[in-house]
Amino acid sequence: MAPSHRRRFALGTALGAALAVWLLHGFVSDARRQVARETLVRRAVVAAQAAAELLSREPGRLPEWKAGSAEVESALWVRGMQLESSTLPGESAPRRLQREEKPLFDRAQRIASAVQTNRDEGARKFEIEVEDAGGRLLVAAPVEAGGMVQILTRPLPPPPKAAWAAFFLALFTALAAVAAAAKLIGERRAILALVSIGCLAAPLGVLIRREVAEVRGERRVEAASVVARVHEQKALLTFGSPERWDADAFGRPRGEVRSDGSVDDAVVEAAASTSAGELGRALWTALFLALAMQLLAGFGAFSRIGSAVKRNRQAYLYIAPAILGMLLLVLYPFAYGITLSFTDQNLYNTNRPLAELWIGLRNYGDILGDFAVVRRGEGGFAINYLNFYWTLIVTVIWTVTNVAIGVSSGLVLALILNTRDLLFKPIYRVLLILPWAVPNYITALIWKGMFHQQFGVINHFLRMVGLPAVNWFDRPLTSFLTALATNGWLSFPFMMVISLGALQSIPADLYEAARVEGASRWQQFRAITLPSLRPALIPAVIISVVWTFNMFNIIYLVTGGEPGGATEILVTQAYKYAFERYRYGYAAAYSTVIFGILLVYGLIQNRVSKATEGG
Amino acid sequence: MRRFVFALAALCGFSAHAATELVVWHAYRAAEKTALEKVAAAYNASRPGIHVSTLAVPFDAFADKISAAVPRGKGPDVFIYAQDRLGGWIEAGNTVEPIDFFLDQATKDRFIPTTTEAMTYRGTVYGLPVNYKEIALIYNKKLVPSPPKTTAELVTVAKKLTDTAAGRFGLAYAYNDFYYHAALMNGFGGRVFEGGSKPVLDNPQNLAALDELLKWIFKDKILPAEPSVALITALFNEQKAAMIFSGPWFLSEIAPTVDYGLATLPTLSEAEGKPMRPWMTVEGAFIAAPSQHKDAAYDFIKYLTDKEAGRVMALEGRQSPANKSVYDDPKVAADPVLKVFRKQAEVSVPMPNLPEMTMVWSPATTALAGISKGNVSPKDGMAKAQAQVAADVAKLHRH
Repeated sequence: MAPSHRRRFALGTALGAALAVWLLHGFVSDARRQVARETLVRRAVVAAQAAAELLSREPGRLPEWKAGSAEVESALWVRGMQLESSTLPGESAPRRLQREEKPLFDRAQRIASAVQTNRDEGARKFEIEVEDAGGRLLVAAPVEAGGMVQILTRPLPPPPKAAWAAFFLALFTALAAVAAAAKLIGERRAILALVSIGCLAAPLGVLIRREVAEVRGERRVEAASVVARVHEQKALLTFGSPERWDADAFGRPRGEVRSDGSVDDAVVEAAASTSAGELGRALWTALFLALAMQLLAGFGAFSRIGSAVKRNRQAYLYIAPAILGMLLLVLYPFAYGITLSFTDQNLYNTNRPLAELWIGLRNYGDILGDFAVVRRGEGGFAINYLNFYWTLIVTVIWTVTNVAIGVSSGLVLALILNTRDLLFKPIYRVLLILPWAVPNYITALIWKGMFHQQFGVINHFLRMVGLPAVNWFDRPLTSFLTALATNGWLSFPFMMVISLGALQSIPADLYEAARVEGASRWQQFRAITLPSLRPALIPAVIISVVWTFNMFNIIYLVTGGEPGGATEILVTQAYKYAFERYRYGYAAAYSTVIFGILLVYGLIQNRVSKATEGG
Repeated sequence: MRRFVFALAALCGFSAHAATELVVWHAYRAAEKTALEKVAAAYNASRPGIHVSTLAVPFDAFADKISAAVPRGKGPDVFIYAQDRLGGWIEAGNTVEPIDFFLDQATKDRFIPTTTEAMTYRGTVYGLPVNYKEIALIYNKKLVPSPPKTTAELVTVAKKLTDTAAGRFGLAYAYNDFYYHAALMNGFGGRVFEGGSKPVLDNPQNLAALDELLKWIFKDKILPAEPSVALITALFNEQKAAMIFSGPWFLSEIAPTVDYGLATLPTLSEAEGKPMRPWMTVEGAFIAAPSQHKDAAYDFIKYLTDKEAGRVMALEGRQSPANKSVYDDPKVAADPVLKVFRKQAEVSVPMPNLPEMTMVWSPATTALAGISKGNVSPKDGMAKAQAQVAADVAKLHRH
């Protein structure tokens, strides 16, 4: 039986609508919860900041303040090792802190150090700490007279939930519309697709606009609620600077409350627009995903996958463990790395969730968008060695020259070794493979020593023949040559072994026949040797390009990027960004770019080598 | 039968409560490891309720292991490491426990002040200093009968002993390594950071220190080129370098044929006789933030940094303890090596423990390489390094 397009689109709409409603409801609930929580946090922060100001000027009035602040359950002031005052019943402050109260002491220290850091280096550390404490909020803020005030609010109201009704209404409207339309249209697929998209998008679009407007309104209510709290505290204290009470975690005033306690509507509107805009973007993206899902199902993608799995059930069962392993060991870290590349994660914020550090494509923009390779300095032109394109050029030159040297020297040596009547052949072979057998970092360090300016054997030799010694690591070109020599030394044995193997598999009668026909040695080489080597050499070149492109050890150990990062290649540069400059997000983006380059190379190479196989 | 099982269970429960198990991670080997184990054994014998077990973790993996394991609550209760990673761990959070709360004045007073300073990050103390390392003057007694007291004397002596053509040098040290160069830099009043973590690599004092270095290299010609650690070791052991600046780690590299002596670094004749002030790295004992036995852990690190334990660590582990009173011990006081490093510690400067310091090494080394070869002037070289470090720090601090 041919599957019905109508049934598929109906099913697709149902799937898409379910996905959309689930995502939309989640996002809207989150946004609502966030606004509600922010309101509570800001109200609590206002109280804590007002209390901090009170403690600096009239500390004796703390009980009176607490009695007047209905939302506050308790407050205490810690300064050094002392509990200066506390509103907890039965507390005999001032007294020395006890062992169990170490967290209070540490928090006061942390806040004091954050205040100092923020004063010296701009807003960097949280000087107001907010914590959930069993359905209550705990807020700690610095006191100018020393130490910190910590307040605990009364139990909070439960977080609001977005009602499901409107979402289900949208869902059923869409389904009913598609059902009705399908009856009219019949089995015409293109029209079915267009109409069902419209039927899903229209009700959901209306819903999205409504929810966004609602959240914007709630954000205005939030501001009003905070201002009400500011007024209450101002009346209670009869002094103080209310514009500083409504502060963010860095202690910076949010600017929604002016110094006379009135509201700055422009700032509130801007904040409301930001929240509404963020929610809107999330919701429209969700709708887009749902529509994509609807179309995929409508055009039969899922049923095709399903039947493929059903047909080859056993095959899929067999590869399942391997797939699982790949998912865990390869795909997960890979996906994590890609995700990291869209964030600004660095040493200071590893404990914050990635979503908070999201910066979109900025890292990629910084890497790929900076074309200032050459800059005009005071004394002529100067190359910016940290620029991505400089490093890319170096990497490409590095790869090409290395592979060329490796292949040509390996091939020549293999041809020599393949001479039939060569004496002591096994000895030469072992000697020539030795560089490969020595761990490459040892070779790298030996070569670095050989290039030493005063004591290195190479400069020693130069002096012996009357040439001046060279400061190898002083100029980009000579520094590059040291690494090239080292890697050339390391890479020819591999190519030699590969070529030798291929040479030995060429049947001798081919050459005999050629000789009989009167072909010269060069003609034999061109017509027999090279074509026979190709199937072995091409894969070897492909992997050796990838190896050399990412040859970390040699660059890192021999030149170390000297002078000034001029001989850095992409991988060593990525390493330096991650582990010397601690910019994990940026380094992840750098690595992703490297991956992209190698991917493109792989695709092109694949096509080219397929063509050669065919030829 | 059932009663017996209950009794056994109760007994097990009781003993588990009675002995607090403390795990200590360190990266020591050989003599240092044995000394630490001896201290731990003595501690266990003196505290019936606590049992300390030490675990040696390979040095290369140590810091990364701490960063990965401790914040997830899988690490030790106490770990011993140098201060250079401290700032990074504190910024990452939930790794190192602040100990100001435990730390009384008497305990604080027993340490050489600069060692406590190394354990302090943005005003809060995070560990007790165990030992310190710094560079001093190591000289070949055959070539240099009495060590120079001032840089003027140093140059005079070194000039006589230098013969570049024969590969002999009066003085050798890794001056192109920022760590070694810091002795001159700090001596001239230079510094890396100001006001928290603001880099100031190109300040005038740093440039003055570089001028002094350039004088030694190009005018007095007493130093070898491209001085790697391997080269300096070879020169000193072949009696081709009369004096070197290096630290305690170098002593085990010296060939038995060389009769060497130790002295504090000379004072600077070019800076009103102020001393050269090398960087000091301090190993501290830190309490892991997620540890369940912080009181016991503090008790142990206090014991570890006390006089008796310090004596064992000094005489058997060959460390320079941070506890001042250890040096009152007649055996320690008579030790020619410990004595000199103790004296040097009076003027040493704790190496910055800020995480931003990691961003300084590479640009500073590049600058030093260029400057010490005469390719760039100190001013241009340091200005370039300063620009790069400042840019890197700013990018790290950006929100």
